[in-house]
Amino acid sequence: MNILDHPILGEVEAAKRKVTLFVNGRSIEAYEGQPIAAALMAVGIKSFRQTARKQQDRGIFCGIGRCTDCMMTVNGEPNVRTCVTSVAEGMVVETQIGLGSWREIPHE
Amino acid sequence: MTETNKKEVIICRCEDVSEVEIKQAIEEGFTTINAIKKRLRTGMGLCQGRTCQKLVARIIAQETGKSMEEILLPTTRPPVRPIIMGAFEGEDQ
Amino acid sequence: MNKVELAVIGAGPAGLAAAIEAAQLGVKVVVFDENAQPGGQLFKQIHKFFGSREHRAGTRGFRIGQELLAQTEELGVKVNLGSTVFGLDKRNLWVLKEGKTEVYQADAVIVAAGASENALAFPGSTLPGVMTAGAAQTFINLHRVLPGKKVLMVGSGNVGLIVSYQLMQAGAEVVGLVEAAPSIGGYGVHAAKIKRAGVPLFLGHTIAEAIGEHQVESAVLTKLNESFQPIPGSEITLEVDTICIAVGLTPMMELARMAGAELKYVPKLGGHVPVNNDNMETSITGMFVAGDVCGVEEASSAMEEGRLAGVTAAEYLKHIAGKAAADRKALIREQLSAIRNGTFGNKEHLKDKVKEENTLGLRFSGTPSKDELDSCPGVPSEGRLAKGPVAVIECVQEIPCNPCEQVCPKGAIKVGKPITSLPQLTENACNGCASCVTACPGLAIVTVDRTYDENKALVTFPYEYLPLPETGATVHAVNRQGERICYGQVVKVRNNKKADGTVAISLAVPEEYAMEVRSMAKGGTK
Ligand SMILES: Cc1cc2nc3c(=O)[nH]c(=O)nc-3n(C[C@H](O)[C@H](O)[C@H](O)COP(=O)(O)OP(=O)(O)OC[C@H]3O[C@@H](n4cnc5c(N)ncnc54)[C@H](O)[C@@H]3O)c2cc1C
Ligand code: SF4
Ligand code: SF4
Ligand code: FES
Ligand code: FES
Repeated sequence: MNILDHPILGEVEAAKRKVTLFVNGRSIEAYEGQPIAAALMAVGIKSFRQTARKQQDRGIFCGIGRCTDCMMTVNGEPNVRTCVTSVAEGMVVETQIGLGSWREIPHE
Repeated sequence: MTETNKKEVIICRCEDVSEVEIKQAIEEGFTTINAIKKRLRTGMGLCQGRTCQKLVARIIAQETGKSMEEILLPTTRPPVRPIIMGAFEGEDQ
Repeated sequence: MNKVELAVIGAGPAGLAAAIEAAQLGVKVVVFDENAQPGGQLFKQIHKFFGSREHRAGTRGFRIGQELLAQTEELGVKVNLGSTVFGLDKRNLWVLKEGKTEVYQADAVIVAAGASENALAFPGSTLPGVMTAGAAQTFINLHRVLPGKKVLMVGSGNVGLIVSYQLMQAGAEVVGLVEAAPSIGGYGVHAAKIKRAGVPLFLGHTIAEAIGEHQVESAVLTKLNESFQPIPGSEITLEVDTICIAVGLTPMMELARMAGAELKYVPKLGGHVPVNNDNMETSITGMFVAGDVCGVEEASSAMEEGRLAGVTAAEYLKHIAGKAAADRKALIREQLSAIRNGTFGNKEHLKDKVKEENTLGLRFSGTPSKDELDSCPGVPSEGRLAKGPVAVIECVQEIPCNPCEQVCPKGAIKVGKPITSLPQLTENACNGCASCVTACPGLAIVTVDRTYDENKALVTFPYEYLPLPETGATVHAVNRQGERICYGQVVKVRNNKKADGTVAISLAVPEEYAMEVRSMAKGGTK
């Protein structure tokens, strides 16, 4: 859920630009400048990848680029730390299985 | 996920290594952070052990009676942060 | 190879303060930070800081960050963002920026890399929805997204307490705070805030398990015995979607270690820290440290240490010398020791002045006990209360803080020296103006007017949640424990710009509850 109004930080600027990204095929909106992880969190997506050995779900842990638990495949590039990578218009984000692999993403 | 998986305590999040596996390794005689790393890959994940090192150390301390101080001083090898491999062979070095 | 005079690693409060101090003395400074944003921990901290005016007390963390940044800009300090320092020897820094390695050669280096949050392992601890408290704080305050609706906080240090409060401000419900120790680790005033919001504190408990298929659906707590072993059968299950871990920080001393600096293991400081003297010099000539990297503490002390390191570096680089340098350092050291004096002073003064046998007080319940209030020099006498509006300062723990003293137009509050002394109220000087109510970063002050009405008293308290009540509305008034004890009518809602988001709400409540009502239920309109 986006926090639209806040007692200390005030309201989110109404003028803030939105971009559209594609998460496992589903299109979602995000505020420009938001990290991918925040955009996913805002729509309730919590599981970002599956581990190689035990196929466990993982998501955000440290939130600041240190733990690498939030890695996803972004525009075909695996191991992207989504908590420190900003969204961009038309970005293609996919759940990463294990260490992932490089892949061509069909562009719109 | 099976029931046993759920009860498992994962220590190294990157390499999916559990507490039980680490305790087993210690029993087998791997009693330093580096020895366990070589045995189980704890600390060899993309986070470079930043997340699990202290947890592994605590288990070693529990199981062997060694002090945290003693356990926690392995030689750090660069890089200190997850960085894309290859950057190290940077132009300037 | 790039040459710099002074390289500062880390643009947190310590690094920025060091850069400013050194630049003011004429040193050419370059700062590196791996984040895209400068400020370190400061930019996610939206609460008002403790300290004195010199420490910008009463100012919200992110505003302090903005001030520091403006100063670095004015002084022409170069701040390289998105630049990870991944290698350091005595003089050379290897920096990774946008996938490229750059090498810098510096005449002097200040390492101010801060600390990183500790992880905690338990069954289910890797489930999505389990995250560090710092992660949750980053998402709510920087990215403005709520990680979940129902949160369990693990750890009662200042981070756990503050992030719990901020999660509620952002709109989440905190269903509990767990702490293995029998007492609260952080400042009592922070605990009192979340207690007033009705958050249950599970002291002497730990998290046994996080349950969920693909993400957290519930959490199991268990009670601990005296030797910190779980007591079978004591399990409690809470429905939560998010579990935040706030179990301490570890100094990021890797760079200092890599450079060969001598280290020392000090558990109270969070682990191995680079050995340093009271000039912030490490065992390596020309290399200095400041802030959490040499012992986890606070932003205020991090800034002072930064300034100290800045002066020492400037002296080393021959921009200041002799008495001028000595005087400047002495002044900063004096400020440092003032902050470290209280119950929580960390690096040098580890003494705990709270009586441990008193298991009823603030540290054990999140609310000051009757004894604590009775002996508190900020609480006015019955006689004074009967005469009209007056401040009730429920600040019972020695913390380094004095904005209340500085804001009172009547000079009715005295903290004095050391700054950790409890605020003392001169009750007859106070006219109940309530300026101190919104200035206190601990939200520990209310005003009470027992003469408001024949059978009603007026209680004015600080409030930092949305939505704000309308004047005239009837709301649930709550006591220090967050229990709804009676109804109150909103008489006034004061949202003064100077108070920066802390709103003073005046509630008319039945006279007998005057000394019980301390807030209102969140969104608690009747
Ligand atoms: C939730 C919370 C609440 C707090 N509340 C208070 C409070 O009320 N009052 C108070 O006084 N203090 C408070 N603190 C503590 C305070 O924020 C810290 O003590 C302070 O930020 C430490 O400052 P620092 O400059 O040492 O480190 P940091 O603020 O952590 O900054 C270090 C910087 O170094 C950068 N860095 C690290 N390694 C590298 C590298 N290799 N290359 C490049 N850059 C690097 C990091 O990105 C970071 O920006 C709180 C802390 C937290 C987490
Ligand atoms: S209520 Fe006003 S006069 Fe009284 S102590 Fe507070 S600031 Fe001073
Ligand atoms: S009452 Fe005064 S000393 Fe106590 S927390 Fe508030 S401002 Fe600080
Ligand atoms: S959540 Fe840790 S790297 Fe993104
Ligand atoms: S958690 Fe063990 S290497 Fe990352």
